[in-house]
Amino acid sequence: MSLKDSLKELYQSIFKAHYSPIAGGILLALFVILLEMWYRPWGIVGGLRNWGEWILYGIGFLEEAPPHPLWFSSSVLNIGLILGAFISATMAQEFGLRIPPKLEIIKGIVAGILMGIGSALAQGCNIGGFYMAIANLSASGIAMMVGLIAGVFIGVKYLLWEIERFASTGGVEISTKKINPILGIVGLIVLFAGVSCYFGSEREEGALLGGALLITAGIGFVMHRSRFCIVNSFREPFLSGEASMARGVAISILIATLGIMFIKLAGIREPMTYVTPTFVWGALIGGVIFGAAMVVAGGCGSGSLWRVAEGQVKLMIVVVFFALTNAILRYYLDNVWEVWDKGWLGTAVYLPDLLGYAGAFILLAVIILLWYIIVDWNEKTEKFVIGL
Amino acid sequence: MVDLSTIKADEVLDCKGLSCPMPMLKTKKALQKLSSGQILEVLGTDPGSKNDIPKMCEKEGYEFLGMIDEPGYTRFFIRKK
Repeated sequence: MSLKDSLKELYQSIFKAHYSPIAGGILLALFVILLEMWYRPWGIVGGLRNWGEWILYGIGFLEEAPPHPLWFSSSVLNIGLILGAFISATMAQEFGLRIPPKLEIIKGIVAGILMGIGSALAQGCNIGGFYMAIANLSASGIAMMVGLIAGVFIGVKYLLWEIERFASTGGVEISTKKINPILGIVGLIVLFAGVSCYFGSEREEGALLGGALLITAGIGFVMHRSRFCIVNSFREPFLSGEASMARGVAISILIATLGIMFIKLAGIREPMTYVTPTFVWGALIGGVIFGAAMVVAGGCGSGSLWRVAEGQVKLMIVVVFFALTNAILRYYLDNVWEVWDKGWLGTAVYLPDLLGYAGAFILLAVIILLWYIIVDWNEKTEKFVIGL
Repeated sequence: MVDLSTIKADEVLDCKGLSCPMPMLKTKKALQKLSSGQILEVLGTDPGSKNDIPKMCEKEGYEFLGMIDEPGYTRFFIRKK
């Protein structure tokens, strides 16, 4: 084999092949740990809300202008994720504008609104409220996990009901396959120009944002290459029994939790970072609503964003309604009803305060491993499968 | 090997524009309605389907015959055993 063939093979395996959920999960966890060490915890909803607030400001609902999206860290994280996933999709020639049938558009609107509500109550989607909440040793992460499982069960019931009654066809794809590699190079140029602008900027947080943009582009890239999907990990055990994504998510959370525990132990981040006053009601109720909606949407917080980046129009609709609803509801929850101070939706519980760091990690690891063991067993026995 | 370009499917299922998990659910439902030996052709645009459909066939005991990329969509062929 010549060096050229060898390089070609390497290119194929990095840019064209789909990574396994386990590989995707491990790489994701490493990027997540790196991001929290470098700057801040990973999140999705904060950035979406910022975009939603700009729309609300534009129509006069909000009087004060929200922070600039290019200088607001949560928003930069989402831009990085979308860019990374876009580069992945285009380099693999998987990008194309996919326009769904009418029923899917309606489902996208309804699911987007419900995801906005659920993520407002839980102060985060499945990332900030579940994956990162557990990794940051917050009790709310476990409450949301319970809520998500219940919600996903409801969502699966709906899908099975729908599939018996409606046969929606008539979607199309506007294919851009031929120009995809060019789009990929444009994406790469935008990414590196963006990173170097941030690092070259005189503003204090410039370098931090530049690094965050690059790391979240890595997150977007590995999520898209592995089609890493938390909806799939909760849904398939009910729908087909298939558990490979659930195993990938479980391993990813376990590694991220271990890494971030050390970040907090070392005092790099405040202990209460990502520990929100949502235990137990906000996380639980928010989880049920968000869980049901993400099944109907076909994407969670992060999964919707990387699907937007590969051209899925349904998920673009989801993200718009998700962002708007979250921004409106959080405006009322935070400023008008002041629910967090009143503790209506729960309190902030940092597990190490109750159990110590070792105890907190063991508790979370046991819960995650229990989930792993159950879905793995269910794959063989199909005990919980309610699918077709 | 079956020559996919000349294959005649008994049923064609249009999943264009749909995203996960709808193509998978519709494919499974359509396969349930076929009688054994019949061939289903699925038209899809979701990149995930290229992994998911063969994997589902293996798990559920259907014979995955292969796929062809056309401009703007992919054709998947499945035989019910």
